[in-house]
Amino acid sequence: MALLTRLGRTALDALRGTGALGLVVGRTVLALPKLERRELGRALVQFGYGSLPLALATAALAGIIVVLQSGIYVQRFGARAFLGWAAGYGVLWEFGPLLLGLIMSARLGARNAAELALMQVGGQIEGLRGIGLDPFAILVAPRVVAMEVSMLALSGVTFAVAILFESVAALLALGLPVRVFFGTFSQLLGPLDLLGGVVKTGIFGLAIALLSTTVGLSARGGAHAVGQAAANAVVRSCAAIFVLDFALTSLLAGWMG
Amino acid sequence: MSGVLSFFGAPVVMLARTVRASTRDGVPWRESLAQLHELGGRSVWLVMSGMAFFGAVLVTIANSQARRFVGNVAVLGPAYFELLIRELGPAVSALLTASRAGAAHAAELSTMSVNEQVEALEMSAGDPYADLVAPRVFAGVLGVPLLCTLGTIAATLSAAAVAQFAFGVDGRAFMDPRYVDGWDLLAAFLKAAGCGLYIPLAAAVAGLKARGGAEAVGEATTDGVVAASLGCLLIDLTVSLAFQLLRL
Repeated sequence: MALLTRLGRTALDALRGTGALGLVVGRTVLALPKLERRELGRALVQFGYGSLPLALATAALAGIIVVLQSGIYVQRFGARAFLGWAAGYGVLWEFGPLLLGLIMSARLGARNAAELALMQVGGQIEGLRGIGLDPFAILVAPRVVAMEVSMLALSGVTFAVAILFESVAALLALGLPVRVFFGTFSQLLGPLDLLGGVVKTGIFGLAIALLSTTVGLSARGGAHAVGQAAANAVVRSCAAIFVLDFALTSLLAGWMG
Repeated sequence: MSGVLSFFGAPVVMLARTVRASTRDGVPWRESLAQLHELGGRSVWLVMSGMAFFGAVLVTIANSQARRFVGNVAVLGPAYFELLIRELGPAVSALLTASRAGAAHAAELSTMSVNEQVEALEMSAGDPYADLVAPRVFAGVLGVPLLCTLGTIAATLSAAAVAQFAFGVDGRAFMDPRYVDGWDLLAAFLKAAGCGLYIPLAAAVAGLKARGGAEAVGEATTDGVVAASLGCLLIDLTVSLAFQLLRL
């Protein structure tokens, strides 16, 4: 009986969450044509430019970690020259998007959810509705657009910095000349590989933006609810990133053969 | 510059204070076990399902790399298994735990300090470092290596299953421990334990310095998660780099 109750409650929660997400998606899309330009600019500065140092640090760490990782098995198979390809492939396809997504779900997702929850708890969103303004047009849509644009822009910068750090790490840790590194890198990787990484990051960004908005807007209570919303936003974004990563990797790998 | 210094310095100061306070007052064992249960029970599903998906992604990538050069994913299997045990298993599990536990700890502690519950604790002769931080650190150091083990197992099983059913390769070829030696296990354990020590400390630094209202709680939670995730990446890099330089 207790099991049935729990099962039912979980199913109801899942339905409620999906419904809330659907509502947020729908109302955001409807609000897109009349989104507030000034708020968009502010959100772009906050989410994009403000995350730049963190994205660069993540890129540098990801680059060095991938070289250290692929260095192990590249040396084992005696294929040192292929390190440029293996490390570039690793960053573009998997570790660049994944690590950037996880870090940004903490930076953007938690912050967005906390801010929206704060406004919801403080009754400011009700207030906007009260004076006849659509909170989705002036608050939510600009944030979602800004997060998506920021993630796409940050993905390009991140990949470039990560690959630069990879070539330096390969030179210092494994003694591989930079020319050899970029030789196999440019021979064996095409624009499609870059596109794969950018598509992945873009979809992660969309998931982070929509999930954190949903979590933030459904917060009720006081200071406790704000912290809870931020924590929930991070957890849901991370879970979504792993599921989407799997779906996109199998899809793109199958499609590009 | 001061941001960088405080990023590295604040957790060290927090650790020193926690160790001093808990040698003086003793660690509350009941609370530590409760925190361990909290950390493990709340994070285990996230870590295991996340790592299961990650294992599937890993074998998909290995497959598309292998098709280009060696022809068969079974050749790359043992090398990828070593990579999973040594690097990716602990690092990605720790990152997932950092987002779950780091956010939860920072939110709890900042709510307590905004509501002046921390001051109330001090007034009643309690020590926030011994009573609040030490149990969480204890739970992290013990719990994160266990979570990393479970996450690595989940990733291995799902990778083997995907290799077996989707790519038609013998799944057990992937779980071939040919290259795994004691040093790999040591590196994995060091990463997991280092992250387990760092996550609660970073969350506590962000949580305990929160002042103000609900706004401060949101900011502290964000700061705690970001610091915990970035710290896990840094710890992962440091251990990998040390082992690479020592040629172990």
